[in-house]
Amino acid sequence: MWSWIPGNASLIWHLTWENLKLGVLSALYGLVLSLPLGIIAARLRWFYPPVLTVFTILYAVPSLALFIALIPAFGLTDTTVIIALTVFSLCVILPNVVAGLRAVPAAVTQAATAMGYGPLRRLVTVELPLAVPVIMAGLRVGVVSSISLASVGQLIGVSSLGYLFIDGLQRSFPTEIYVGLVLVIVLALVCDLILVAVRRALTPWLART
Amino acid sequence: MITFEAVTKRYRDGTVAVDGLDLEVPAGQTMVLVGPSGCGKTTSLRMINRLVEPTEGTILLDGTDIRTRNPAQLRRGIGYVIQQTGLFPHRTIEDNIATVPVLTGWTRKKARDRARELLTLVGLDQGLARRYPHQLSGGQQQRVGVARALAADPPVLLMDEPFSAVDPIVRAALQDQLISLQAELRKTIVLVTHDIEEAIKVGDLVALFRPHGTLAQLAPTETLLAEPADDYVAGFVGFDRGIRRLSFVRTTGLNLGTGPVLPADATVTKALAAGEPWILVTDPQSGTPRGWADAAKLAALPGDTPLGQAATEPLSHAFTVGTDSLRAALDAAVLSPAGLATGVDSDGRVLGVATFDQLRAAIQAGETARGNAARADAAQVREVPRP
Repeated sequence: MWSWIPGNASLIWHLTWENLKLGVLSALYGLVLSLPLGIIAARLRWFYPPVLTVFTILYAVPSLALFIALIPAFGLTDTTVIIALTVFSLCVILPNVVAGLRAVPAAVTQAATAMGYGPLRRLVTVELPLAVPVIMAGLRVGVVSSISLASVGQLIGVSSLGYLFIDGLQRSFPTEIYVGLVLVIVLALVCDLILVAVRRALTPWLART
Repeated sequence: MITFEAVTKRYRDGTVAVDGLDLEVPAGQTMVLVGPSGCGKTTSLRMINRLVEPTEGTILLDGTDIRTRNPAQLRRGIGYVIQQTGLFPHRTIEDNIATVPVLTGWTRKKARDRARELLTLVGLDQGLARRYPHQLSGGQQQRVGVARALAADPPVLLMDEPFSAVDPIVRAALQDQLISLQAELRKTIVLVTHDIEEAIKVGDLVALFRPHGTLAQLAPTETLLAEPADDYVAGFVGFDRGIRRLSFVRTTGLNLGTGPVLPADATVTKALAAGEPWILVTDPQSGTPRGWADAAKLAALPGDTPLGQAATEPLSHAFTVGTDSLRAALDAAVLSPAGLATGVDSDGRVLGVATFDQLRAAIQAGETARGNAARADAAQVREVPRP
């Protein structure tokens, strides 16, 4: 029964690629949206609680329900899945951006100001670099959960490794399910390892642990 | 020169941090702002580089109202050192020091070369250049903080409790370094501390604040000790201010006696003939002190015994005539078993000993001279003309 794998290699490869694309793009969009929101939230006290509440409610919505809610606007497309997954990853990345920026020691930002940094330059060259470890921790969770959730997109017909679960179930063919499961986990682990390497490259000042 | 003209800082909740402050920091001098916590000394400091904006009044830097200057530009010309160092954890030591030069447009190469010069200037090894701040000790980090503040050679240096977070030995070393750097660089320094000892040690001028941001006294350091304006100042300066003042009186004119001083090859008979209760035994070749011999115990020895064979008690320490202060001389007398202060020259050769009476005479002579000088200084401070 393992002969099914070489026989369907091109299908498996295609589904893996689609799943990877959906998961990684969503997490990256989530990061890109989290940065400005998090920067504003770290500055304005009143801004963060309502934003966090909205995203917490959105995070509580089941992924399938969110897909269905988006279908009237975006149809049975990649866009629908990516929008939903972006919202979910934003929910886990945004709190880390805020926490990372707030954790920059006051003495450091004060010293930067006192040495003649303007607000933007200070943000880009001092505060964001110092927030990188915490932001990256959020991004890792965001990527792993998006890759995993992307398989649900198959329920609305968007290609992903979820196809192997549904097809395997309908044909009572466990091999296919196992292959899908292993590939989702491997994809998530590989992306996570890459992010750990990126984080290390970005933070040479941190002691290796 | 930094000038505060009737500067007040009132916060929105009504708290007054600084109340109508008039203050002038002459160029090239170290002004220490000292006082209890909540007296407005840090607020005053942070108004100079516009980290805090005054509610009323004007601050002038070399005659120019600082409000007319772009804050970032202004700050690049003012070095800033804080207690927690505020070093950038993600940058190497050399890049931390190079911060302001890079901000002002130097090439990274030139800025790093400058950073390495500064490492040497503040007494650190250039081998630390590529380390990160967390790899350095607290004292080393504080030195890097000073180097970073000096990197673009600003004429003004602001220091907010710069040495409060390190242990006393490191603190003393950092203070000594600041004094020697200042002797070389002649910056206009404003330093905030709650430690009156530190104020007296590093300051040319001391501004002592009362709670709620008013000045209790502004005076040259010695005047503050000699003539505290009121009980608040006297209390803050401390009950031993009389002794601390002696730090400012040199031992140059001190009368020294040589009656009890004898070389180790002199005999016990000769020592007893001196009629002194204690004999200071010196090395016959170098003239350096060996210790005090008790005449009562010498009397029990055969008359032809050389003093070198008699038991002596250590003299604790001597003072160097001319360079050490009367405080050191007084301390030497207090700690000596004979109650006499041993004065030596720069080679350690004994010049003579001073009694408490002789020290007291020198203190009184110094007091008269100092009093006159201090009154003149105080008058000068009050009469600084407004621009």
